[in-house]
Amino acid sequence: MPLLASLTRAELRRRLGEGELVLRTGPFTTRIRSDIALVDEGLARLYAAHSVEDADSFADFQVNLLRSRGWRRWIRPQVLFDQGGDAPFTPLPLAQSQPMFEWVMNWCISNHAHGYLIVHAAVLEKHGRAVILPAPPGSGKSTLCAALAMRGWRLLSDELALVRCADGLLAPLVRPVSLKNASLDVIRAFAPEARFGLPVEGTIKGTIGHLAPPAASVARADEPARAAWVVFPRFEAGAATSLTPVPKARTFMRLIDNAFNYALLGQRGFEVLAQLVDDCEGSDFVYSSLDEAIALFDGLAGDAS
Amino acid sequence: MWQVTPGQTLVARQWDDELVIHNSLSGATHLLGLGATILLGVLQNGPADETTLAAALQDEFALDAAEIGAELSPMLARLAKLELIQQCPCSPA
Amino acid sequence: MKPALLVEVLRDPQCASALAPRDWELLLSQARAAGLHGALPFVLADAGVQAPPAPRRHLDWLRTEALRHRDSMRNEVRLIAQALGGSAPLLLLKGAAYLMAGLPTARGRLFGDVDILVPKESLSAVERALVLHGWVTTHHDAYDQRYYREWMHELPPLEHMQRGTTIDVHHAILPETASLRPDPARLRAAAVPIAWPGTMPGQRPLFVLAPQDMVLHSALHLFWDGEFDHGLRDLFDIHRLLTAFDATPGFREALAGRARELGLERPLFYALRYCGRLFGTPAPALAAGRPNRLQLLLMDFLFERALQPDHASCAGRGTPAARFALYVRGNWLRMPPLLLARHLFHKAVISRRAPAGQDE
Repeated sequence: MPLLASLTRAELRRRLGEGELVLRTGPFTTRIRSDIALVDEGLARLYAAHSVEDADSFADFQVNLLRSRGWRRWIRPQVLFDQGGDAPFTPLPLAQSQPMFEWVMNWCISNHAHGYLIVHAAVLEKHGRAVILPAPPGSGKSTLCAALAMRGWRLLSDELALVRCADGLLAPLVRPVSLKNASLDVIRAFAPEARFGLPVEGTIKGTIGHLAPPAASVARADEPARAAWVVFPRFEAGAATSLTPVPKARTFMRLIDNAFNYALLGQRGFEVLAQLVDDCEGSDFVYSSLDEAIALFDGLAGDAS
Repeated sequence: MWQVTPGQTLVARQWDDELVIHNSLSGATHLLGLGATILLGVLQNGPADETTLAAALQDEFALDAAEIGAELSPMLARLAKLELIQQCPCSPA
Repeated sequence: MKPALLVEVLRDPQCASALAPRDWELLLSQARAAGLHGALPFVLADAGVQAPPAPRRHLDWLRTEALRHRDSMRNEVRLIAQALGGSAPLLLLKGAAYLMAGLPTARGRLFGDVDILVPKESLSAVERALVLHGWVTTHHDAYDQRYYREWMHELPPLEHMQRGTTIDVHHAILPETASLRPDPARLRAAAVPIAWPGTMPGQRPLFVLAPQDMVLHSALHLFWDGEFDHGLRDLFDIHRLLTAFDATPGFREALAGRARELGLERPLFYALRYCGRLFGTPAPALAAGRPNRLQLLLMDFLFERALQPDHASCAGRGTPAARFALYVRGNWLRMPPLLLARHLFHKAVISRRAPAGQDE
């Protein structure tokens, strides 16, 4: 399948306009329709290494991101999302089209893909073993995730851990990492070679920017990983780096708190989660220095320190 | 007399002294400590009265009868609130 | 007007075997827009249709969702029965009724609220019992409260504080202000008891409407209410109810007779007509309840558009106008003109539903 980078900008825009852009991200394909320049800009910058599929193939999800109609088309223009039916959410300012795209892609998965136990967490892998980093907003998960991805860890996902119900393996998505405010500067300094999308100011969360996933991670998007660790991260300015074990039953319950569709999966969800917890070591992780954090994770993975 | 709530399917997993248990009827998942796990374990084998349940706790914990008695009622009440167990209809406790 | 792909597949599921990949995508998308995404896997499986791998996993995911929904709704009915106790017999309507009665139309049918029918005299006792067990009233606006209690035929919906589920308590199936007044006492008198599932022993008796009344209630709800968000789903219900009940000899005669008795021949006429046109349900030509030629032409135009899935691929010419016209008609049939004007005015200016915001 051709990569998105192989399309000219004009061709990209044409496919988007006609709903013929079918983008693959890990196990899912999404048919994207949009008339908004920021969307094709975002795709070109952040999804260059992803494959596009034939316009007539079956797409798992449909994402239509269009300018709102009527007078809103020109005055404080807005972007509206729908899947062919009703618009489920209120429109956002047009400038926030790229973050909205990311958010909508996550929503599609967590709303439909019930062949996976879906946990709000980052997932990275090294030397054949994966770490799941569940965390509520503000815990520094994304900064840590971005840093690990820039230091040799394979990125599977920044937002959604997809645990396959059939075999308990983690499926990669490999989409951009969403960073906010100060984190953006931190990661720019940490990894000057990193590529970013256009920053967006004035969102509910402040300034948001997206880090393009490393091409090496994207290239391995069809390689699932086996989880070995569940680490609950917390950034605390000035704190010493520490990793404290969490009992398995507690890890189990805390994963439920971070899961999207655990209840929907019923007994199967319980079994999948129990197997995952059986296979993993659970820990609380506190850090203030990214370098020390990376060193600790590399140590877990078995790299000589 | 107490019994497990009829009609439910329970699946559980124990790690160390804690139990996570999923109730198919309510769709809820709970974390239970050792004492509650023991009580539930006794009742899975059939209805039991409070004397039997107290004795099971006594076997596990080094507490005297009065202390066990004080612990038992709140534990049973909590398990009942979670709809895992109920008092047998038309019978004294 | 060319029928939507979803309608073609519901009418003849076998035709899905020949679908191209992009058509499978369209089918799933239309099903979701129509609220029939839960039913689709079951309809296809019953017809022995094997989907190709890419859409097949969507059908599996939808089946998981539908089964979970079924289990939670069964539990919800159990908890409602416990809460009500003896305050009124528990008579279920619509989705909850189909589910607990084990009807084919329940398979994969997703629905939001549990609807029950109780005697008007029992309303206060029922409301008290529910509030005692954790339900709270919604629609706190004084106007909305009056709308429901005085003018409509139900309490304002009650929402459970912990579970977030909703129950609608009706005392009639049409408001007291409506032009048709089927007597709820007759419906309750004909109600049939049903058994609880084997996994839920020892509960109070449970009732649903008699088969003819179930069909008539569904027809009335669809063609009189004016809200067509789930128009296609509700019509498909009627089709599946008819198919199931047609197995009983004499059902159609009983249905026609009951429609005459309750004054519901017009909604039954429409139900049979559009079920026949969309799903091919066998229907003997009905003379009873047929409107005049002009009105029938207008209704055909309006309903055939309003019953389409609410999907960009299906918007026939004039669809938003059709839905609006039917919405007004629906309210017209339920409320006298002055009341209607006041209601529409108030609803538009003050009671605008808050749009769903995004969760961050």
